[in-house]
Amino acid sequence: MAKRITIDPITRIEGHLRIDVEVDNNAVSNAWASCTMWRGIEKILRGRDPRDAWLFTQRFCGVCTTVHAMASVRAVEDALKLEVPLNAQYIRNLILIAHALHDHIVHFYQLSALDWVDVLQIPKADPVATAKLAESLSPWTRNSRNEFKAAQDRVNAVASSGQLGIFMNGYWGHPAMRLSPDVNLLAFSHYVQALEYQRKALQVVGILGSKTPHIQNLTVGGVANAIDLDSPSALGMAGLENIRVLLDDVVRFINEVYFVDVCAVAAMYPEWFKIGSGVRNYLAVPDLPLDSTNTIYDLPGGYIKDGNIAGVHPFKTASDKEFRESVSEDVTHAYYQGGQPLHPWVGETEADFTGWNGDQKYSWVKAPRFKGEPMQVGPLAQVLIGYAQGHPLTRKYTDLAIGKIEAIGGIHVTPDMLHSTLGRHAARAIRAAMLAELAQKHWQLLVDNISKGDYTVHNQPVFSGHEVEGVGTHEAPRGTLSHWVVIKDEKIKNYQAVVPSTWNASPRDANGAHGPYEASLLHTPLARPEEPLEVLRTVHSFDPCMACACHAFDPSGRQIAKVKVL
Amino acid sequence: MKKVLIGGIGNILLGDDGVGPYVARLLTARYEFDEGVEVADLGTPALDLVDQISAKDAVILIDSIDTDAAPGTVLLYRKADIVRHSSGVRMDTHSPALVDTLLGADFFGIAPASVLLVGIKSGSYEAGCSLSEPVIASLDQVIAEVLRELDRLDVGYVSREHPAELRIWWTTEEKIKSQSPSL
Repeated sequence: MAKRITIDPITRIEGHLRIDVEVDNNAVSNAWASCTMWRGIEKILRGRDPRDAWLFTQRFCGVCTTVHAMASVRAVEDALKLEVPLNAQYIRNLILIAHALHDHIVHFYQLSALDWVDVLQIPKADPVATAKLAESLSPWTRNSRNEFKAAQDRVNAVASSGQLGIFMNGYWGHPAMRLSPDVNLLAFSHYVQALEYQRKALQVVGILGSKTPHIQNLTVGGVANAIDLDSPSALGMAGLENIRVLLDDVVRFINEVYFVDVCAVAAMYPEWFKIGSGVRNYLAVPDLPLDSTNTIYDLPGGYIKDGNIAGVHPFKTASDKEFRESVSEDVTHAYYQGGQPLHPWVGETEADFTGWNGDQKYSWVKAPRFKGEPMQVGPLAQVLIGYAQGHPLTRKYTDLAIGKIEAIGGIHVTPDMLHSTLGRHAARAIRAAMLAELAQKHWQLLVDNISKGDYTVHNQPVFSGHEVEGVGTHEAPRGTLSHWVVIKDEKIKNYQAVVPSTWNASPRDANGAHGPYEASLLHTPLARPEEPLEVLRTVHSFDPCMACACHAFDPSGRQIAKVKVL
Repeated sequence: MKKVLIGGIGNILLGDDGVGPYVARLLTARYEFDEGVEVADLGTPALDLVDQISAKDAVILIDSIDTDAAPGTVLLYRKADIVRHSSGVRMDTHSPALVDTLLGADFFGIAPASVLLVGIKSGSYEAGCSLSEPVIASLDQVIAEVLRELDRLDVGYVSREHPAELRIWWTTEEKIKSQSPSL
């Protein structure tokens, strides 16, 4: 008998993600992804000074403040054809890397690990055996029996109190949970430690950006960090040394803990390499520029169609002509007025709310399309596109991950298996390891450049009288972010942000093509449809973030998964 | 010395949701606080709020709320009121997470001893950078509640003889004046 399951975690009135799936014979037969709140924020930017836009855009979202600020200044710089001094590029790159490392750590441990790790099995674990297992996997010095015992004691205290607190909503004891008590304890102990290391990454953002959650150091044309090697109030050797020490700790955690844990979990749930593939078109733009004119990058971009990895199309730059010309947004199934798909420079954001109707309009997210097709963005896209182009750093860590998963699980893994729920987790860990290496490289590049006596951090923007268009991109933790600006008379004429989660959470388009979340859920087997853990695993593997809207606290608290028999 | 965080939460781009950041600036402009008091515009934090509230003796949060009360109504919540309701299974992994933050801080053993949420019932969450009339009218009461909590905590503050510049950069100068009844 078919059932409709709606997962609508309304506890606040921010824009959040609602997922509806139809389940037939214990497998998903149809799916809808929907964002439940209107943003429409872009309209606020019209008529404002383009030099101020980044201050507003970094308020789009509370998690990705930095990435929206960065895409905004890059969009205006692209429109004005403004060069960015090397110091500014390196400082920006370091901020972006540190933010991404923080974000990836938090995503895996705090936001999705408990889809795979059963906390209530931990009291049965043996800390000594866990330490032995952990030592066989990694040289991490905090894999000690004392650390494991302490983590187990915390869980025991919570479990015996009957008040599960932060763990009250897990699907504990679900048949899809299959790790041994020792492995559960191992991963959980790192969940506790992860909180420390993500904080260190955020501290790097804070030092360079003057402040988190909203950095203060950006400016169109560069950064506002004064560089003076001897002054304590400017960015000098003391600050740079502080950053190096923080980064070293974070890099070690990524390599010795996060990367290893993802490989171990993947090795123990190999069936998830066959689930959750969905849209096999991938998109990523080049990022981490290495010169002031944005022609050389540390991370490659391009696109892949229909899973044809060998047929990858590379992008030369972060605002590649093919990318600029090929993006449009379709509102057939989104709560907006409009007919034909529109390019972001002429994009509109006029609401047309009709209520949820799966056959018609059902989401506040528009459907972004590249050459008319839905695209999956995020670490998996970044890794596949880099791997396909033979990018050495991507190959290094992808091969390392595959080797580790094979060694732990005794299974054969190919890059093709990355088109999956586990592939998205593995790719995020691969990307984190790549970024960890690049963090140290860009730190050195910055120090070397300053040591040469180059203290330049800013080029003055110059406006022409003409109407100009620009696109600013960034490969954010959740994928390709693009801000599109039209400037006239030193004022913003139009502004659109096409954010990673709109690519992935996209509703259907005029052709009926599913967005990536929707497509990835089709055929997913559910052991207990009324406890749709498997749906959460796949949706969480994308690292969804709809927190781009409102934040009011709703004191009433409401329910979650509703099951309706069709 | 008590370590106290006074944090304004909310999105300045969505009408009355910006009341938290707004009040944080009003407080900084009007008052000087004892050492150890940090007044912050926290924006719209997700789980990173755990870091912000860790290692504090007391936390006072200012946020818009969604209840049946009339717009501009000020209601107070203690931790027990906030965490009473489960936050649910999270589909969107980064949703703002006051409940999760408080429970998480408890689990990690870094929770502040005292938590107060000063909630302001919003009038409008339409995209826009200004507050609605009923919320503007409530600002002095919101500030009074924050100060009363500081009194309770035995933490000192003094009213500035000459209020500092109110840097509400997201709205225009004229609006700032009209939206700040006692400035």
